[in-house]
Amino acid sequence: MPVRPLNVGVIVKLEPDFSEGNVSYNPDGTLNRAETKNILGPHSAAATLAAFYCKVKYAARVAIGTMGPPIANQALKQAQIISNADELHLYSDRIFAGADTLATAEVLRLGVSRMNNGLGADIVISGHRASDGETGQTGPQTAWKLGYPFIGNVIDFQIDPENRSIHAKRFISLYGFYDVIEEIQAPLPVFISADPSYKPSFDTVSERLSLARNLNEARSKAENFEKYLQVYNSEALGADPRFVGLPGSPTIVYKVEKIPKAKAKRRVEFIDGNDTAQLDMAAEKLLQLMTEAPIK
Amino acid sequence: MSESTPNLESNYNNLAGIEPYQHLYVVIEHEEGIPVPVSLEMLGEARRLMDDFNAKYSSNEKVVAVVLGDNVRNLCEDLIKSGADAVVYANSPSLRYYTNLLYTKIICQIAEDKNVARSISPLSSENFKKPRYMFFSADNTGRHLSSTVMAQLESGLASDINKLVISDLEIRHEHKTKGQLTKYEKTLEMYRPDFSGFLWTTILCLDNRNPSIAREYHPQSCSIIPGVFEPIAKEDERTGTIIEFEPQISDEDLRVKVLSRNIIKSTIDFESCKIIVSYGRGIRDSPEENFKLIEQFAKSLNAEIGISLPISKRPYQTKDQRLLSYMIPERVIGTSGRKVSPVVYIAIGISGAVQHIAGMKESGFVVVINPDTDAAFRDECDLFIKGRMEQVLPVLTELIKKRMLTIEKRA
Repeated sequence: MPVRPLNVGVIVKLEPDFSEGNVSYNPDGTLNRAETKNILGPHSAAATLAAFYCKVKYAARVAIGTMGPPIANQALKQAQIISNADELHLYSDRIFAGADTLATAEVLRLGVSRMNNGLGADIVISGHRASDGETGQTGPQTAWKLGYPFIGNVIDFQIDPENRSIHAKRFISLYGFYDVIEEIQAPLPVFISADPSYKPSFDTVSERLSLARNLNEARSKAENFEKYLQVYNSEALGADPRFVGLPGSPTIVYKVEKIPKAKAKRRVEFIDGNDTAQLDMAAEKLLQLMTEAPIK
Repeated sequence: MSESTPNLESNYNNLAGIEPYQHLYVVIEHEEGIPVPVSLEMLGEARRLMDDFNAKYSSNEKVVAVVLGDNVRNLCEDLIKSGADAVVYANSPSLRYYTNLLYTKIICQIAEDKNVARSISPLSSENFKKPRYMFFSADNTGRHLSSTVMAQLESGLASDINKLVISDLEIRHEHKTKGQLTKYEKTLEMYRPDFSGFLWTTILCLDNRNPSIAREYHPQSCSIIPGVFEPIAKEDERTGTIIEFEPQISDEDLRVKVLSRNIIKSTIDFESCKIIVSYGRGIRDSPEENFKLIEQFAKSLNAEIGISLPISKRPYQTKDQRLLSYMIPERVIGTSGRKVSPVVYIAIGISGAVQHIAGMKESGFVVVINPDTDAAFRDECDLFIKGRMEQVLPVLTELIKKRMLTIEKRA
């Protein structure tokens, strides 16, 4: 019996481009959204790369979905270039606007179930979190609503297509404690989030040939990315208006304010960096602190 | 009477035992029975909030620590000394290591259990449905766990919080209150610094009181940034209730298996070095040249090199492998990275966002090198060297080397 093909779904997000030269900050240090370009977020790109790995290694079918305004299709186009995706989904409706993570996850749950010609996905992949104030909650909440186990911060994984299972390594940082690398095994379907450090490797000759072929295909597909684009509004997804957008959001933003400056705990002394004599006093102070401090 | 009627909750006020949402549950993380620091920090903040709550509203509501694991009974007294009124623990070999699926299920079982609520406080309601508030840590485990627990409990969650207030608020909202001014009592205001570190967003989790979309959203919950709240000083005489919970575990819940778990110690040693030199986006005018200056400066002081979060995202095009090896997440100082406390911390070209400050504020002596004397860091340092790094670093490095030579000669 032939092995059932692997269906992959990816959830991505269009985000401000934080790279130097593209990002613009207001004088008060906040992001100037009007002047900052939008791109496929770097964590979304890591998720997309993980899908590409499935495409190259397991000849998977890949569908990529995003919730957002029509301009978010730019994220889908960029993701197609990375992953040679077969389907691009834009979940777009006025009533989705203002959704918090729970209401967003509701839309994405419905979207994933329509991926890959309605077969859904054996593996859904999201980024670790978005860079622009997103919370890292959307992925796990979508997973839970789909009934898929969630495996976070995946740095490496293999699929066993015959036994329909995943073997994954994940990275856990316990701030102020230590870091852990964990090996996980689970049957499909699963939902994974790609760690920001995720990088696929293609080792065998046949993988490299498949890699080259897929990269070529991806380029030509993305030139006509609209051909692969499916736009779903609330009705097409079969969404219940009570569970999406603002009505479906438990949380609201109550207020936004500048963070007041903390009460200064230290008494700062200013010196002029162009004055060598002052700098020499600073050097003396540093060396004094260094030599007087006990060895830790 | 529908529970969505505006102001209904105010009718509850003097009727202890009727409120369906009670207590503040804190989900504890531990490594082989030792609580990770953020767990005690969360308990500390929970204690402070609940002391006020008890004085202002009702003394029936408690701080409840929830802890899962293989052998966690010994942990419980410590959690009480650290601020909990009650500890609910679940022991099972299957719970030895965290898996999101199983932990989510068990935490939700505990959160919705009326008997647990009654053991926490005999005045707990027959109508108990869920906790009023719930705290998780904003680390790789708690961030995911909080999300899935709230997806199951169908309530709202704010992430990466660094300030919390409980108060009564008058809210007018298009959807939540259908535009009517409505009083929400005992509301948790959850303050979240944005990615830039300069804006604070207050998130509320509110029931829909609008009759056409009426829905209750409890617990009001959040994930808390490690390192921002103070634990309370442990009080040996504090007492509390310890409750064992029998988890219901099905085969389905065990389908995610942890095959191995390896602890990795970072090769970057921020703990034993006396001086840490960190740099940020200020290197942008000529990253490669500026990095060389920073590296030489750090070397002259025998210092380890740290970075601010934006640098770990590699915002510069460079082929300089040495520079690239210093633009990695393992070097980030701050809430998204390491917390450090060297004898001397030197910040070069870093503006001083709250997330960064949280990672270095325990340092002994703090030096900032920055041309902008209005940078937020000015309030968090002892010595502010006003100047561009291109000018300051070469001179300062030479001066240090010269003094070093003298010291060595004397020795």
